[in-house]
Amino acid sequence: MNLWRLEWLRLVRTHRLTGLVAVFLLFGFTGPLTARYLEELLRRFGGGVEVRLPAPGPADGMAAYVDNGQQLGLLVVVLVAAAALAFDAQRESAAFLRTRVRSMWQLVLPKVAVNALAAAGAFALGALAAWYETAVLLGGLPAAATLAGIAYVAVYLAFAVALTALTAALLRGVVGTAVAALAVLLLFGLVESLGILADWLPSHLVGSLHVLARGGDPGQFLPAAAVTLAFGTLAAAAATWRLGRRDV
Amino acid sequence: MTAAISTSALRKRYGPRAALDGVDLEVPKGSVYGLVGPNGAGKTTLLAVLAGLRRPSGGSVWLESDRRRVAMLPDTPSFDPWLTGREVVDLARALVAPTAPVARVDQVLADAGLAEAAARRVGGYSRGMLQRLGLAATVVGDPEVLLLDEPCSALDPAGRREVLDLVARLRGQVTVLLSTHLLADVQQVCDAVGVLRAGRLLFQGSLDDLLVGRAAPTWTVRCRPPLEPVETALARRPWVTGVERTGAEELVVEVASREEAEAGLVAALAEAGAHVVGLEPRAADLERVFLELTR
Repeated sequence: MNLWRLEWLRLVRTHRLTGLVAVFLLFGFTGPLTARYLEELLRRFGGGVEVRLPAPGPADGMAAYVDNGQQLGLLVVVLVAAAALAFDAQRESAAFLRTRVRSMWQLVLPKVAVNALAAAGAFALGALAAWYETAVLLGGLPAAATLAGIAYVAVYLAFAVALTALTAALLRGVVGTAVAALAVLLLFGLVESLGILADWLPSHLVGSLHVLARGGDPGQFLPAAAVTLAFGTLAAAAATWRLGRRDV
Repeated sequence: MTAAISTSALRKRYGPRAALDGVDLEVPKGSVYGLVGPNGAGKTTLLAVLAGLRRPSGGSVWLESDRRRVAMLPDTPSFDPWLTGREVVDLARALVAPTAPVARVDQVLADAGLAEAAARRVGGYSRGMLQRLGLAATVVGDPEVLLLDEPCSALDPAGRREVLDLVARLRGQVTVLLSTHLLADVQQVCDAVGVLRAGRLLFQGSLDDLLVGRAAPTWTVRCRPPLEPVETALARRPWVTGVERTGAEELVVEVASREEAEAGLVAALAEAGAHVVGLEPRAADLERVFLELTR
């Protein structure tokens, strides 16, 4: 038994990993389906209103996955990460771990890494499901650009986990930690929508898969990816520093 | 004797409140040191500071051992409920003593009486089982210093006996600092004691030093009823500071000094016409001393 296995068991035995994968897979399978049949659905359930939509293309299948899955998926990612990272919420179990490690990195690194990998993996599984269904229903996607898009969103989700580590170090409870992390992520989105440093913000990566599936240049997201990786590393380092100085 | 733990003018404040107010602790190496005090005295805070879980506001802490050889057991141990007992102890072993054989895990689980429950998830453990699991996870790394916060608080009499026996067996090999409000436990296993109140260490030393000469001298008087005239006559004596009836034929007489009681108590009883059955000085007990110190 070690701290890496502990975090893996936390995900598996609490069924959080199942929930995480289920959410992304659900939208992975339903996203392209709704894109393909949206016009028929609106005709049937639209109360007689005639709606004409342009014929959906392959990029619309992936866009539907990202649009539908991103919000709920991000919420689940942050909640799962908060449940692991807000370990000081329970003083006695925190004491068990804190009195047995040499440095706070020993505790923080496995928690961040395992949860980030789980989030990225769950998103990638959902994306592969969406890719497959898009190929069947709507046509093929550019492979290299789509893979780059999946990687960019995975980096964003890993950043969300590292940010949750920081809010866990500043607050104590699981709910407060998750709400604060989501608020900061929302703030990035708001700043981006105002056009301020839009190409450099982590939230810019959220739409990368959408854009790249339409044939965009993967290089345009490199600045945002670099900033996101730097912010994520800084957030994890700041969390470790802060947790090491907190009274339990 | 050298000290395993020593603090100097140790202070810890929570806002305006001082939880520890200049504590000079000296725990002899290899001793079992009992830290007693009323609720809110600062016992848990002191142990948390020594374990490195809280940072002192002032003063200093000196530990003879490496901090990783200092193990702490909180008063209500808690673990991830989806881990098995064996996994909890094995995690503690891997973190603190990675070179220790895995068989050591089963050994300490058996010593804690948890061999049969080792494969069960700890979410189904009783509070007493969690306490014993916490002890197993604490001793698995062969610590040099054990900090035990109310280790018997959740245990039934048999479990309490086991824990006290375990602590007694550790004497000489490990330095144990245990906080408790069960004074009987202190009298049974501790060879040094510290009395803490409102963040201040009121007394520190051996149990004998604490008990001798601290409590007001008292005598137990057993005589035939009626006791009222005897009670009244004794209460009139200037050197008698208190008379309490503790049974149908028993009075406890508190006196200002042992000498005056030895010189005058028998005569006072005779003058009161008491039919005396027995008369003996009462040994000071920790509870009385503790109450007097912390009053």
